[in-house]
Amino acid sequence: MPSTDQSASPPALAMHGLIKDFGGVRALDGAEFEARSGEIHGLVGQNGAGKSTLIKVLAGIYRPDEGRIAIDGQPVSDLTPHKVDRLGIQFIHQDRLLVPSFTVGEAVFLGRERTAAGLLARRRMEREARALIAEQFGVELPKGALISELTTAQQQLVQIVRALAQKPRILVFDEPTAALVKREVDRLFAIIERLRGQGITIVYISHYLQEIERLCDRVTVLRNGRHVGTVSPAATPAREIARMMVARDIGELFPKRQVTPGAPALAVRKLARRPHLQEVSFTLRRGEILGVTGLLGSGVKELVRLLFGLDKPDAGQVEIGGQAATLGSPAAAVARGIALVPEDRRGQGVALDASVRDNTTLASLARFARGGLVRRSEEDGETRRLIEELRIRTPGPDTAVRDLSGGNQQKVVIAKWLARRSEVYLLDEPTVGVDIAAKVEIYRLIGELVEQGAAVLLVSSDLDELAGIADRILVLYRGTVVRELPAKDASSDALLAWSTGAMEAA
Amino acid sequence: MAQATLTPAQHRRRRLPDLVFQMGLPLALLLVVLFFAWSSPAFLVPSNLESVLVNNFTLLAIVSIAMTLAVASGGIDLSVGTALDFASLLFVSLIAAGQPFGIALLAGLLGGLGAGLFNAFLIVGLGITPFLATLGTLFIGRSVQQLTTGGGIPIYLSKAKVPEAATFLAHGDILGIATPLWVVTILIVLFTVLLRATPFGRRVTAIGVQPAVAWYSGLPVRRDLVLVYLLSALVVAVAGLMLSATVNAYVPSSGNAFLLNAIGATFIGTTLDRRGRPNVPGTVLGVLLLAVVANGLLLIGWNFYWQQVGTGVLIFLVLVASFASRRWRKAG
Amino acid sequence: MSMVVEQAGGERADLRRLGTLALRAGSLLAFVAVLVFFSATAPFFLSFFNFTNVIAQSAILAILAFGMTVVIIGGGGNVVTGGIDLSVAANLGLCAAVYASLIQAGQGDAVAILATLLTGLTVGATNAFAVVAVGILPLLATLAVMNVAAGLELVLTENTVLSASTPFLMAINNIGPLGVPNLAWILLVVAVALILLVQFTPMGLRLQAVGEHREAARAAGLPVARYVAATYLVSGLFAALGAILSVAYLSGSSTGSAELLLGVVVTALLGVVFSRRLVPTVGGTLLAALFIGFLGNGFQLLNISSYWVSGVQGALILLVVAATSVLRRKES
Repeated sequence: MPSTDQSASPPALAMHGLIKDFGGVRALDGAEFEARSGEIHGLVGQNGAGKSTLIKVLAGIYRPDEGRIAIDGQPVSDLTPHKVDRLGIQFIHQDRLLVPSFTVGEAVFLGRERTAAGLLARRRMEREARALIAEQFGVELPKGALISELTTAQQQLVQIVRALAQKPRILVFDEPTAALVKREVDRLFAIIERLRGQGITIVYISHYLQEIERLCDRVTVLRNGRHVGTVSPAATPAREIARMMVARDIGELFPKRQVTPGAPALAVRKLARRPHLQEVSFTLRRGEILGVTGLLGSGVKELVRLLFGLDKPDAGQVEIGGQAATLGSPAAAVARGIALVPEDRRGQGVALDASVRDNTTLASLARFARGGLVRRSEEDGETRRLIEELRIRTPGPDTAVRDLSGGNQQKVVIAKWLARRSEVYLLDEPTVGVDIAAKVEIYRLIGELVEQGAAVLLVSSDLDELAGIADRILVLYRGTVVRELPAKDASSDALLAWSTGAMEAA
Repeated sequence: MAQATLTPAQHRRRRLPDLVFQMGLPLALLLVVLFFAWSSPAFLVPSNLESVLVNNFTLLAIVSIAMTLAVASGGIDLSVGTALDFASLLFVSLIAAGQPFGIALLAGLLGGLGAGLFNAFLIVGLGITPFLATLGTLFIGRSVQQLTTGGGIPIYLSKAKVPEAATFLAHGDILGIATPLWVVTILIVLFTVLLRATPFGRRVTAIGVQPAVAWYSGLPVRRDLVLVYLLSALVVAVAGLMLSATVNAYVPSSGNAFLLNAIGATFIGTTLDRRGRPNVPGTVLGVLLLAVVANGLLLIGWNFYWQQVGTGVLIFLVLVASFASRRWRKAG
Repeated sequence: MSMVVEQAGGERADLRRLGTLALRAGSLLAFVAVLVFFSATAPFFLSFFNFTNVIAQSAILAILAFGMTVVIIGGGGNVVTGGIDLSVAANLGLCAAVYASLIQAGQGDAVAILATLLTGLTVGATNAFAVVAVGILPLLATLAVMNVAAGLELVLTENTVLSASTPFLMAINNIGPLGVPNLAWILLVVAVALILLVQFTPMGLRLQAVGEHREAARAAGLPVARYVAATYLVSGLFAALGAILSVAYLSGSSTGSAELLLGVVVTALLGVVFSRRLVPTVGGTLLAALFIGFLGNGFQLLNISSYWVSGVQGALILLVVAATSVLRRKES
């Protein structure tokens, strides 16, 4: 239960006993959440803990099966987005919902336009929007700029101002720093603190505990749709909050395995694509899991794109199995035995409206062809074999991938590359958006990959994950490798310090 | 907290609308055939059925196969008429100039291929969306034809000049079955297999379903798309040759007449596939439906104008039924 | 490092802006250059009579393209899955046939106008139903409706020209105030009204949001479906309006109105380059319609074969689209 409020005034936002089922899966299981007026209240939990479901219930997008919601002590029910808006609750979504071709004024006032004689008062909207931004953040946006011409951080300011223009009582930030660089994060935090000073209640959702520690007055932890606890980050070490989130020993989360690294599978020499990737060299051996981490803009994403032939390097060499390789296209990379499990699973990893079989055999169709025709029975055989081997939970090979859970979709992506008999696996944030049970399954799978002699490059911003399953970890910062750590010496704190450049400064 | 897989009951619930969706087109065709058989004694006789197939079905079916290929790859080909006309123009001009049939045939196919090559350049090379690229080709092709024919004057072949092979192609028969039917049947079988069972066809379908996934799976997306537009143009060129051989003439911009019905037939045909994808058998059924309705309405005494209305309403209703059940299915 | 990112971002935005500016300025420049070239080489071109006449002649195409533009604004720029109304031209043909046949049947202009507007709106409502309520792809839905409308037109006219002449129609076709044809005045008034509505009212701004970023529009609490449905009604209304002008201009119905379709599509898409944000706008469409009108007229005066016109239009659209797609790619 949340700690009872000392003051007499009711909480700004109270959600009690929320239950929400999705076709047999309980996303919220009696969740509780209470935020006091004028505080910054963090909301944390693993993927699948129920954070986003809770927020969508508050936004009126999902209707809870059970539960009560009260704003300033007043019970509210049958929330709709429109009603929520009138109650003075505003959301800063992770994906910025702004029309690209609009000016700042138009974007801020869409739906509540300023008019004169029935016509849009564009200048006035522009002036008011810019004044609001200047007043709130002390920032001048380029004059007359369109949304599409602004940086990600600037777009986020526009979205915050759009919310502030409604004079909200409660402001919900959903993972707002995901696309920001450090300096922009600092600026955002200063803004959020100022908003608290204006008496606005802030709900702050993040999976970065460091941010929670820095920013929040209190934090509520959710796990499996239930309320685990509400604590003060000032009085509770991050490690303790993490334990509340996971509720089991991290060691158990990362299955043990013993593999001695073999011959070099992938060697990278002074690879560069400026400005983001300055110069990177490393060697990845068969049977090895090499972790790579770095913040947005550190060059990690660019490195993955180069290795899969999605971009061309400015300089440097790549060797695969000891031979020089030119990776001019994904087709060329795949032909050299490279596999990519992309971060955008639903956009790039699996074809959602195609069957498990069609996805599994997509990259290796020629293997199943006899006399120029693809043999359905052989495809089915291989697909069934992989379904069993990877323990993919699906009614059969013919089921559309859309109907599988996130974790099982990810396994289909891996199955596609196993069918292709790929040897070097680039895993880009492979456990984003999958629940904790599926995470463990994927870790086990990665372990089996290397046991069979594959080489794995694991790109992740989940530092515990890296420390848990990688053999070595490279930290990228400003486009170069600033540090290589053996996993046994890598704590998430150290990794974070290196990836933010804090160690260099020191 | 693994997300649930579907229960058997949920599966059953899904299957019913699935079936309605898939059976809609064959059922509509069957009903239409029964209706005309019942209302006109002249309908269900061999000579009429052959006439439906040769006159109403063949050319549109060939053009629609090409369209199906383009739509399956996630694009569209508005310039099918252009490739058809180019093939016809080159074929007829060369015959008129006294060239042998073989040379003229080859030139005709190459002419059609030219339009396809231009499309491929625009779509794959310049990254223009297929709709706009092929629209541009359509416009430019129209000018080219007007410029080469003095503003759209048809080229007629005198009886004496028509080679025997051309007559055979249009009016001959093998084993008592009209040559055009052989051609269209071979193309139907070939492209059904190509799209459904070859690695190329499967890749094209994957590109059409989710191009990013195809690209991120290392498929040769650009090469395959070039092939799609070349093949599409080549198939349409065959229709152009057959049209020329049938009417012994080149009539400028006559290919566009097939465009809208080909698009209609292709999308009606998507209802035959469980996942709503373009497929050759579905397209062929779609063309058949259009052909039977046009013929049947004529037989029961509707004039040409009412035929148009009837066909249009029918297509509209098939689309409404299939999309409505698609929505129902998604909701279910 | 954040510096690096921001600089790169800023540079990219500048580059894009420069590119957009160049494209827009380039298109306007091309427009002006064409005008200057024709006035220099064809003395009659710049005469007041010729100038106003071209504007009048462009009125029908422009008004149809306005309807198309509104549909594209509200449906989004993706031509296959976004908004498009292929039925506009056939709708105009049907409306014109309704008007002319009512006049021939002895009805007055008031009845004819009412019936024509009602016809146009009914076609628009059918499109709206199919697209919004049933969820059929706009390309397909409007294609089917186009076939029905074209068929009904044939039924009414039996593929002949129905002549119609009334004082009201003649007045439309007359020279109006300041020696400018009434058709040109009508175009001007309609354009100004529509520009005000779409570009300068909250309703117009919301329509743009609905078309460009449906999720953002939903998050802003806008009734998205209602806006999309309304665009097809507007398009139907403009087809009816265009029909009345067409009947006046041609003194009756015409048999070739379906031919207008591709020109309308090209005009609406060409208009994109005349807007600062590279999106469809009413003003841009107006400029594009006039551009195409002057181009055709200049060719005529210079005795350049009109056969070039469609090719030049096709090349223009490809040029525009290639340029915008290069700019868009730079942006992402």
